[in-house]
Amino acid sequence: MFQVNKEPKKTHTNSFYKKNQHGIILIFFYIFIIVLVLINLESFGIHIEEKFHRSNGFYWLSYISDKFGYEILKLISDEKLKNIYDYTLAPVNYYRQWGIVLDVPFSLIEIIFNLENIDKIYYTKHFISFLIFLLSSFFFYKILIVRFNNKIFSLVGLIIYISTPRIFGDSFLYKDVLFLSLFTISIYYLIKLVDKNSLKNLIKFSLFSSLSINLRILGLGLLFTYIFLLLLIYLKNKELKIFITNIFKVFILIFILNYCFWPFLWEKPFENFIDLFVMLKRDLVKARVLFNGEYIYNRFLPSFYLPLWIIVSTPLLMILPSLFCFFFYFIRLIKRFFNIKEESYFFDLWRSKKENIDFIFLFIFINFFLFLIVLNASFYNGWRLVYFLNIFIIYFIIYLADIIFKKLKNRIKKILVFLYCGLFIIALNNTINIFIYHPYQSLYFNYFLSDKLKNSFEGDYHGISAKSFFLKIHSYEPNKKLNIAVASYTPLQRGLEALDKSIRSNFNIVGQNYNFAHYIYKNNISEVDSKLNKKYDIPSNFLKIYEEKRSGSVIYEIYKKTQL
Amino acid sequence: MKIFFFKSILIFFLFIIAFHLTFNIAIKKINQKIFEITTKENVEKIKNQIRDEMKSAIAKDNYISKDDAKLISSFFKKIMKDLEINF
Repeated sequence: MFQVNKEPKKTHTNSFYKKNQHGIILIFFYIFIIVLVLINLESFGIHIEEKFHRSNGFYWLSYISDKFGYEILKLISDEKLKNIYDYTLAPVNYYRQWGIVLDVPFSLIEIIFNLENIDKIYYTKHFISFLIFLLSSFFFYKILIVRFNNKIFSLVGLIIYISTPRIFGDSFLYKDVLFLSLFTISIYYLIKLVDKNSLKNLIKFSLFSSLSINLRILGLGLLFTYIFLLLLIYLKNKELKIFITNIFKVFILIFILNYCFWPFLWEKPFENFIDLFVMLKRDLVKARVLFNGEYIYNRFLPSFYLPLWIIVSTPLLMILPSLFCFFFYFIRLIKRFFNIKEESYFFDLWRSKKENIDFIFLFIFINFFLFLIVLNASFYNGWRLVYFLNIFIIYFIIYLADIIFKKLKNRIKKILVFLYCGLFIIALNNTINIFIYHPYQSLYFNYFLSDKLKNSFEGDYHGISAKSFFLKIHSYEPNKKLNIAVASYTPLQRGLEALDKSIRSNFNIVGQNYNFAHYIYKNNISEVDSKLNKKYDIPSNFLKIYEEKRSGSVIYEIYKKTQL
Repeated sequence: MKIFFFKSILIFFLFIIAFHLTFNIAIKKINQKIFEITTKENVEKIKNQIRDEMKSAIAKDNYISKDDAKLISSFFKKIMKDLEINF
């Protein structure tokens, strides 16, 4: 009796485990990552735009509270806003068009949980930003599952998505990677919507597209992609009514949702929306950027700026297979393009749901790439404004693995093992780089570059090294008031907020008044041509005493005055 | 109609690429040249070049050749003469 009762229970547990094996692995994987990040969260610095985003949050929270009559909330927001000050920071109402996706909800969190310590406030925001990034990785995993129907390929794709060094490093900074996260979720719902044209999918797609647009106007590209896909479907099905209704619905939904999420549009929706483009041109960073050893004005960047940056700052093990597969699929699509017939049973550019996903990925990638290059987009600090392109790089890696598997599985039985090993090596390489570069993963450069070449590209634009710099100086002279000069365009004083109040008060930033300084902070961020303009040259009475380096790439340098 | 649509897309893309590779890049280069001439850094560069040239002139025993010295001297004399007459 005893044995009879016990046996079915065991089988049930086993089958439950087998059924949910990947789910359980995923949950443990996410818990592991979250714990690891929580332990190390405060070893990352804070970035130079934290203050702006905090004031942006309170500015709009005050505005919303005013509109809805929440007087106490408005008073608290105004009070908080008043206390955010930095002499290098432009007034928040000058940059009113910035998105509020994370800034306003976090300002509310700050009030509800009564967060007081400024460093704790920033680190909590970093953590929330990272959680959103993790959430988006799950959506990317789901895209890979739908497309490749291989849980291990998809799991490795997810690991590569999280562990790409620059993306991982930036995932805490709630800017470019936050857009990547929302963009990924939007693509997932775009794929679902194209597969099944339902109102539920349309609402979900519109919701995440609107959030993406709120963060970056580039998010509009998703809307145009959907319209183009509808057009291709119409050319096959010839159902004009469905085509027009869908376009109408998506426009209305995106308009309504954007209007709801964006208080900037509340007063004059159309006028302010058009103003966005004017402001985009007005507020673009206009400075010189260090690119390949030259200080180039960012309005005149060469066409190869974007591809070269992607190549030098993405692991080679990711770039090579991705490029190979991209061209493979591109040629395949071109062949299909030239075989289009007036009447056909299948869709012209794809044959199945899976091929449709390939087409969506290639179409979005090529369009964004061409759009940015042809319009001479004014990039700065590498390719971080378009970090969302990373999902295309990873997608094509997994696609290549899938092609190899399908082509060779009948000839070489053990091909799957080799493929898993190959993908595992890519993920492992990323993970190793995360440890090597910690906490400067966002400044990763490919290991095949010489040290000289690594340092001929812009480095720590976000000033995340400021915290490490101040702590280092503090360790040299713990209880002394020190004047710090900055041989860089980085507004270093903003980094002080990452420190404990007692340490913070020891430092006085004197800009480029080197005569008054005890120490100088230097990195390679300069808005002028430093070869000709000497404003960031270190005076001869200062001596280099420390250099923070990662894999040959100089993060920052410390100079100390040798004589008074 | 379908074939026409796809052909139009192809031509559009080819046109965009051709436009960028020819007109767009050329215009960008011209604008860059104009911009670089007027920058503070370039003015500083020219000043430095003049300073260097002056330093090298001081270091040399004979900076101006005999013929040039004769020519410049005659030119100055002519200018002085004209100034005296017309002033």
